[in-house]
Amino acid sequence: MDMFLYIDRDSFVHRLDPRTKLLLLLISFILGLCIKSLTFLLGLLAVVLMYGAAGGVLANLRRIRVVLLMIALFSIAIWTISIPTEPRFLIFSLDGLKYGIQVALKTDLMIISGMIFLSATKIEEIAEGLVRLRMPYRAAFAFSTAIRLVPMIVATSFTIIQAQKSRGLDLDSGSVVQRIRRHVPLVVPAFVSVIRGTNIFAMALESKGFGYSDRRTTLLDLRMGGYDWLMIAGALLSASVVFLLSESVAYGATLVSGGF
Amino acid sequence: MNEVFAMWKKTKMVVLVALSAGLYAALLIPFKGFVLIPGITEFRPASVLPVVLGLLFGPAGAWGAAIGNLIGDFFGSLGVGSLFGFIGNFMFAYVPYKLWLGLGLVPRDDLAPDLKSTRKITAFSVVAILGALACALVIAWGLEILRLVPFAALGSIISLNNALPALVLGIPMMIVLYPRIKKWDLLWTDIMNPEDVPIPGGLSRISSILMALFIITGLFGGFVAAFKAGQGFLYEGFGTGGDVGSMGVILIAGVGTIGLVFSSFIQTMPSDKK
Repeated sequence: MDMFLYIDRDSFVHRLDPRTKLLLLLISFILGLCIKSLTFLLGLLAVVLMYGAAGGVLANLRRIRVVLLMIALFSIAIWTISIPTEPRFLIFSLDGLKYGIQVALKTDLMIISGMIFLSATKIEEIAEGLVRLRMPYRAAFAFSTAIRLVPMIVATSFTIIQAQKSRGLDLDSGSVVQRIRRHVPLVVPAFVSVIRGTNIFAMALESKGFGYSDRRTTLLDLRMGGYDWLMIAGALLSASVVFLLSESVAYGATLVSGGF
Repeated sequence: MNEVFAMWKKTKMVVLVALSAGLYAALLIPFKGFVLIPGITEFRPASVLPVVLGLLFGPAGAWGAAIGNLIGDFFGSLGVGSLFGFIGNFMFAYVPYKLWLGLGLVPRDDLAPDLKSTRKITAFSVVAILGALACALVIAWGLEILRLVPFAALGSIISLNNALPALVLGIPMMIVLYPRIKKWDLLWTDIMNPEDVPIPGGLSRISSILMALFIITGLFGGFVAAFKAGQGFLYEGFGTGGDVGSMGVILIAGVGTIGLVFSSFIQTMPSDKK
């Protein structure tokens, strides 16, 4: 399984500052949650997809197409059945269908936005962007190191699996539950092989001056350019206009007046 | 809560955060396809790790569980719910080690989580269940506020999905791992400065009791309020047509969640005993 989500391109989206992209991601989440109008939700989805197309990263959506489809089908099916208002056809209600489509769009929109962000932003940029946003360096370091370690840990696990298979462990036959149960004893050696390196890893970091000073220089020089400010201003302005035009301003009122 | 921030001074603890997060994410990602609620949660044998990481690595395990869950979300469920997933999984690892130290379930002179006695195995089971419930409370409350998923359905699914692996797989894992971690001087109580490690005492006991009460009241009180609003347990919760975003659920579960967080700031520190 290819664990790396980043797609290397030289596009307008890739050149944006990671802080700008984080803010655009946040605005898309907020709008996605607050907007109730299906028209505006579809419009927002179209804008997000255009943003992803501008970055040339929509290919990554293929990796999560099954998840997106399942979310849509699950939401529509469940809410169509469970909201018992008229008009209805058998057990399916029109209000439930509308609500299910709304929830499906909201959830898929957030996942697509997140995927586009990760596909167009390097891990180092995310970490440095978080540091510029006043996250402590050590936390950002732990975050970026963890992401880099995931493929290594998966590879180590595969090696352990191959070693156990060569000793007669059968992981391929039986039901899904049986196969999962046979994988369980492999967790301990994977855990041990990863954690064993902690002392050496810590020594290596300290030998390179990790934690020597709170004031660090960085190879990555992040600067907010004209396009960054333009995108931020455009996103904030558009969000304000959408809030004024859509039915979503009522969201806050609905939250307060929700029944006991 | 002091140790949650003081731990960042220690390079070994920072490394343990990264390794814990990487391990958790590596175990979460392959099971993203075994969906229980699309875009929200899936079948998670990886739920064994937060309790184990919390008891062995303390605050590093808690941060690692939170970050690891966030990284796992990158592969198919990143959304605003990920914020509550971050906090919930942090609590999933944090609550067990706090309660292990403070609730008085294990002898004060033998706090090692080596599970060498029935008493310690029982204590592990209790703290693991409470950790799982704390995670379920935070995430279900968050998604109820956002009106995305009914509280009773999500809370019950996450409680079971977290508690079962933690209980079934966690006990043998701890028995096997503890001697190795101890030998390598990687227990969090061995790495951190003694003045930064909370100790059993009156305040720790009060904090632990309050924490347990807030978790149980918040979650089960939330369930009662959710039933009154027409919600149901597990997948029935989606079929009963209940009111998502009901004020009663939000208030009761909210009090539980906020109480859980605030109770963690009460603890006995070594300086209090001098």
